[in-house]
Amino acid sequence: MKNRNDLALHLMSEVAHFILESDPCRMIVSVHLEGDGFHLMMMDDLERDEKEIEEINGMLHVAQRPELSGYYGSMTGLESLGQARLNMVGWQIKYGQIIQREGGSRIDLLVGGQDFDPTPFELPGEGC
Amino acid sequence: MTYQEKVLYRQTWIILIGIGVTGIVVQGWHSAIQGIWELQLHPARLINDYTIIANTGAALVNAVFVAGIGLVIARVTGVRISGPVIAAVYTMLGFGLFGKTPINSFPIILGVYLSSRIARTTFDKYLLIALFGTALAPVVSAIAVEVITPGITSWVLAVAVGIAVGIILPPTAMVMLRFHQGFNLYNIGLTSGFLGLFVASLVIAAGGELPGTMIWNESPDLTLFLLIPVLSLLFIILGLLRDPRRGWRDNIKINTLTGRLPSDFMDLVSIHGSLVNMGILGFLSWGYCVAVGAPLNGPVLGGIFTIIGFGAFGKHVKNCLPVMTGVFVATLVFQVSLTAPGAILALLFGTTLAPIAGEFGFSLGFVAGFIHLAMVSRSGAWHTGMSLYNNGFAGGLTATLMAAAIEWYQAILGTEKKEKTHEEPK
Repeated sequence: MKNRNDLALHLMSEVAHFILESDPCRMIVSVHLEGDGFHLMMMDDLERDEKEIEEINGMLHVAQRPELSGYYGSMTGLESLGQARLNMVGWQIKYGQIIQREGGSRIDLLVGGQDFDPTPFELPGEGC
Repeated sequence: MTYQEKVLYRQTWIILIGIGVTGIVVQGWHSAIQGIWELQLHPARLINDYTIIANTGAALVNAVFVAGIGLVIARVTGVRISGPVIAAVYTMLGFGLFGKTPINSFPIILGVYLSSRIARTTFDKYLLIALFGTALAPVVSAIAVEVITPGITSWVLAVAVGIAVGIILPPTAMVMLRFHQGFNLYNIGLTSGFLGLFVASLVIAAGGELPGTMIWNESPDLTLFLLIPVLSLLFIILGLLRDPRRGWRDNIKINTLTGRLPSDFMDLVSIHGSLVNMGILGFLSWGYCVAVGAPLNGPVLGGIFTIIGFGAFGKHVKNCLPVMTGVFVATLVFQVSLTAPGAILALLFGTTLAPIAGEFGFSLGFVAGFIHLAMVSRSGAWHTGMSLYNNGFAGGLTATLMAAAIEWYQAILGTEKKEKTHEEPK
């Protein structure tokens, strides 16, 4: 399952890059691996306004672009210069969304597997 | 395919067919066909200007065939007709004027297809590598008609080597991307230059000879002179046709983007804004060539077509000008003629480094352009012209150096900032 693990690692890294750019106090990464894919959930303690949520969802909801994901997508999560680019994540996933919750926001990415239930996951404790 | 994509697809075909018909009309059917055949059997290493080796008509029709292959493959694989595909098709069109032919491009594309099968993935994921990868087409021509006495054996060997090179292209291209982190728009240029080094070394080690060539049309005809302004005007009209205000507004928006790979302007902003951008870049590049008195021959038009194509995928006036200025000043400092082939091609193709200016500003874009001229003057000899994207190769090396230096500097700045924050009293 090298490809699945590699992809999970790259997506995790790109989204973490994106979250850390906003300088959160806390960030939680949860990966649920399935036989046919994985579910990646990342939570932070940042309050985002509606416009920002809409922009992020726009980047995560871009149509799948095999010609871009197969080639340029290999850069995902490996760049150390410039800003994180969530649209590169969007090309490679089946489903992705960000929701604003009390005390922070949650990004869900689904690649392949459909069985995972993300509802019990919450960000425990208080922020900084 | 969306309605807008269908329109774009049809527009691209109409433009290609228009160029082909122009070639046949100005040259005559018989002369054009004869010239096309001549080009298929001619060496293709840098620099072989097809507008003088055969004639203007043959070069234009050959270029249309090469670009048409790219457009057909893109359609068959079902990928979106958007910025990257447009960039690839116009790059293929440009290089169809000085190095690519349907015959020498096909083995490379077949090799990339086989690579996708070996990797158990679909060809659409490797499509752009296949189209841009035809930069290594001279490898096929060199083995078929230059290194070995032309015959069935030489052609079989040439096709086999072309396929082998195509197979190794995708994994190499993906590794190369990480070196410059998307700051070199012609990543396949870096890749094919790198692979070209190996091919050239092996050929020379086996006793083959690869002397430098320079066939450069000094007095191209009126058709070639007028081609770019007519096309650029057409792009601007197409971009403004539906909603002129939106076309200009979207073009301004495009100029705020960094252009770093992969920046599909047609997707990020709009098709109309991108068409306007392509037209403006066409006029800018053509205007410079006319101003300095450079001949608008096959390679120069190739450079302009590539800029036009990447007007939908990473280049705009704001990120191209600093790099062009850097190359221009370097040309003066190093006392090279502004119309020398190396200088004019470096200025046009050097815009591969446009994302550096887009991300880090004018001064670093200028520095990138300045270094680029020095690099590109040497790099062609390393792979003996086996890779047509020599500027992409040199640009990739420059971008890698600059990315490394900037990353190191930013890391130092980040550490200092952190230390200062910790020192501040609470």
